[in-house]
Amino acid sequence: MGKWYCDSGASITVSTRIRLARNLQGIPFPSRMSSVQLKEVSQRVVDALLSASDEFSKSLKVIKMDEVDDIAARTMVERHIISPDFASNRSGRMLVVSEDESISVMICEEDHIRIQVIRPSLALQEAYDIADKIDNLIAEKLPIAFNEKLGYLTECPTNLGTGLRASVMLHLPALESLGEIPVLAENASKIGLTIRGLYGEGSGSQAALYQVSNQVTLGISEKAALENLLSITQQIIGREEQAIKRFDDIAVQDSVFRSLGVLQNARILNGSEMMKHISQVMLGQRLNYIKLSDKNLPMRLLIETQPGMLALQGEVNADSRDQKRAEIIRNALK
Amino acid sequence: MLCDQCKKNIATTHIRSSVNGVVVEKNLCSSCAAQGGYSQFSQNGLVNMLAGLFGDSYSIDSSKPNTRCHCCGASFSDIAQSGRMGCSNCYTVFSEQLFPSLQRLHGKTKHIGKIPLNAPSEIRIKSRLEQLKGDLKRAVSEENFEQAAKLRDEIRQLEANENI
Repeated sequence: MGKWYCDSGASITVSTRIRLARNLQGIPFPSRMSSVQLKEVSQRVVDALLSASDEFSKSLKVIKMDEVDDIAARTMVERHIISPDFASNRSGRMLVVSEDESISVMICEEDHIRIQVIRPSLALQEAYDIADKIDNLIAEKLPIAFNEKLGYLTECPTNLGTGLRASVMLHLPALESLGEIPVLAENASKIGLTIRGLYGEGSGSQAALYQVSNQVTLGISEKAALENLLSITQQIIGREEQAIKRFDDIAVQDSVFRSLGVLQNARILNGSEMMKHISQVMLGQRLNYIKLSDKNLPMRLLIETQPGMLALQGEVNADSRDQKRAEIIRNALK
Repeated sequence: MLCDQCKKNIATTHIRSSVNGVVVEKNLCSSCAAQGGYSQFSQNGLVNMLAGLFGDSYSIDSSKPNTRCHCCGASFSDIAQSGRMGCSNCYTVFSEQLFPSLQRLHGKTKHIGKIPLNAPSEIRIKSRLEQLKGDLKRAVSEENFEQAAKLRDEIRQLEANENI
């Protein structure tokens, strides 16, 4: 398996993410834990994960978040391995992550255990099965907080029940420019799903990337939650495919090739400009106007030229970062 | 759809507010939404919303304000203020006060789905029985009697084991 953004292809579905929230019985949740408890819980979870004889246990590495600096932590958020909260509150925390970064377990984030599996394209069941397996590995060794009525007990009551948050990242340029996202979001909310923009302010998105996820976790089985999400995702994909047909072909071609031109030639590219044009190039690929030898390149560039990723290469000030971003993209798209 | 406010940009934020039963709906672009204070809900915003959610039950609890969770030491007012539980035990200690809020939050208050490996066997059998009974009902309504007979046998067997 590879990194999700290196294998996302050029389709509407970019990636799938599964998150399970779990806690240990009889120990305060992380926000009320003593430093001794924090250390103890971290060690117990790490031991449970690493002691499994499973093949995948061998691919796991343990990262002490105390030893990770601000920039490196930010790049982990940009690569979607950890949450922004976990990045800003690293003291005494541990992260267990697989080599390809498709599996990560945040220990003592909001809950004692947050299992995350992220896969390229639409792979809800596959991703859930992996998360489920890891969950079982932990539960074999550690007492998990569970209540017959309320299910898995979590710090925030919004996660009670299955503790499952499943989400799909979709690239929806046509629906976005037709202004149909708010209507979709409203309909989705009626069946317990949310749609929110990624890489943008408010609910919009600079790269037309949207995340659809389940909201309700109590009183609905994992299977039903995944089925609902899959069904709505497929409907949205169908709508996006229809929506693009409402645009004039030549106008779409003009727009995607202009964006390709900018990315191939610009000397200075700020983050939002980059995302706007990458989004157009992704659309061009989807419609077979643009053929790149590596079809995963646009999404990979979008992630790899985020501010933290550039800062990791020594580009700490915004101006030099924009130049470096332009240089990397120009070279990649030559 | 264009933004209701500036009429220039595409509306990306749908806001539906209900104040004293009066529902107002707005479609705004991201900059107008941000100006109106409707930027993405921050973690803090969500906590405040949750804290608000527990508000009613908090007032009910004022008769016995001194109860604290014996595991983590949290009182119900700590939970109501932060919108977060202190530990898994809090759900048992404060179950009465939490119930109305949980119902409002999820619509339902009974877990359906996975049960951890360490759960007591009676919980696992009970949950399996509920699942089988649901499947049986569905099989009968779909007139799939062969499947229904199999499910009925499985249910009987489980119930027999449970009574041993």
